[in-house]
Amino acid sequence: MSLVAHQLALQTSTRTLVDSLDLALEPGEVLGILGANGAGKSTLLNVLAGLAIPASGRVTLDGHALATMPPLTRAQHIGLLPQGDEGGFFGSVADFVALGHFPFGGPAPDLAPHLASWELTDLARRPLDTLSGGERQRARLAQLAVQAPRIALLDEPLTHLDPAHQAKLLAWARGEADARHSVVLTLHDPNWAACHCDRLLFLYGDGRWQLDTPAELLTPDALEALYGPGTAALWQQGGRGEPV
Amino acid sequence: MAAPAAIALGLMAGTLPADRELALQILTELRGPRVAAAFACGGLLALAGALMQTLFRNPLAEPYLLGVSGGAGLLALLGMAAGLAWPWISLLAFAGSLLALALAAALGGRLLARDHTPLLLAGVMLAAGFGALIALVLSVTPAERLPGMLFFLMGDLAWTSQPALLWAALLLAVAAALALSRRLDVLQLAPLKAASLGVAVAPTRWMLFALAGACTSLVVAQAGSIGFVGLMVPHALRKLGFAGHRALLPACALAGGSLLVLADALARTVIEPRELPVGVLTAMLGVPMMLWLLRKP
Repeated sequence: MSLVAHQLALQTSTRTLVDSLDLALEPGEVLGILGANGAGKSTLLNVLAGLAIPASGRVTLDGHALATMPPLTRAQHIGLLPQGDEGGFFGSVADFVALGHFPFGGPAPDLAPHLASWELTDLARRPLDTLSGGERQRARLAQLAVQAPRIALLDEPLTHLDPAHQAKLLAWARGEADARHSVVLTLHDPNWAACHCDRLLFLYGDGRWQLDTPAELLTPDALEALYGPGTAALWQQGGRGEPV
Repeated sequence: MAAPAAIALGLMAGTLPADRELALQILTELRGPRVAAAFACGGLLALAGALMQTLFRNPLAEPYLLGVSGGAGLLALLGMAAGLAWPWISLLAFAGSLLALALAAALGGRLLARDHTPLLLAGVMLAAGFGALIALVLSVTPAERLPGMLFFLMGDLAWTSQPALLWAALLLAVAAALALSRRLDVLQLAPLKAASLGVAVAPTRWMLFALAGACTSLVVAQAGSIGFVGLMVPHALRKLGFAGHRALLPACALAGGSLLVLADALARTVIEPRELPVGVLTAMLGVPMMLWLLRKP
């Protein structure tokens, strides 16, 4: 038992995005969340991270309510890669990556392997704000790797990454799963989802949701239902649940 | 290293009478306290600037961003217009800065856990409003009262009467800021990311707001609105490679203190026996230094 959502409801001021969601995250799985823009993917990640309060329902970590857990304790187990900028950070790439160690206190760990694994070694002393978008995304991922949470929640982690680094991200996610950690990511690429996720969660943005394996969920018709008419072409080349 | 040199220079600057006893008296009773007050004011302002830059995640933030100088200036000028003497002016200035901070917090502080923009907007609006009211007071004041008002608005250390209080505040503020320093490093990240790393974003931001506000209010009540130290010093130190708050914050206190001691020494001596408002000198020293730093890649 690890991270469990009980009867979650997510709402905006005007409508219900997700209703009565039950989700038990298994150790060792990679879960992909798919849905149209504004369907509630990021909101759900924030709720699972304990950083936003659901309209109803609750989230527990090993049976303890996330809402009442001390922030530092929570941060030792759950990591979030939000979308968005790091403007306002004045330090170097190495300083930035080292912040992942904050929840644990004490002296910073050896950053070299993390910097190397995200190909940041040569950039380590550069100010973060001089990096390209993709390089900065790698720095964010390296920071998360330093935090080494057993529940990693990633909001559109593929953003800005070139194919080689997308592959690197895939390898990292699978490595985390092999270490009995759980990885949740939101993404917009059904092919990637089919190849690399153990389970998928479809959010329809009107309260409905579906949770199953890619083989069961991913069909051209299902994509049209999720994203709207004309989107089945995204999937045309692939078979049912098969990568393109 | 620069700090003791600046203090020594500050003590030596200016003429001394030939009579040893009188010279010693001037050094210990007039110039010494003034140099001490200048150092503490500069340190407090630079520290407050660094804290504000972290609070707003913006290198252009500075201690007076939220209308502190406007609130202090308005009440101090009203006091001067009513003919009140210095300790009352100081108290009025302090009350005015707290009023500005309280208004900014009440009007813009609601969403501070996620978004600092409302607080920023409220502060900038308040500063503009106070600015207009200050202009109004200046325009209806008899001419003979204007120089004192202008010196207050530009910042002037001649009034400072409490160097011990300022030093105690500086030491306390540096200690408090250092205790927060690791959290402040994380707070430079987007609020959601900082929260996910275990920082309680809203309470920490309020602590920053209170600490920066207290430092600034105290200086304004003692020396008026000395400009530029709080913007330039932290910005320049970050440019020079002080990134982590553990090093940056004490460095700000030392460099801000040194800069203000030097500026005040010049303000006292450039057109001796008359004095210039020190705020004029901080900008005249600071602007070229800053422009030179900005040229560096």
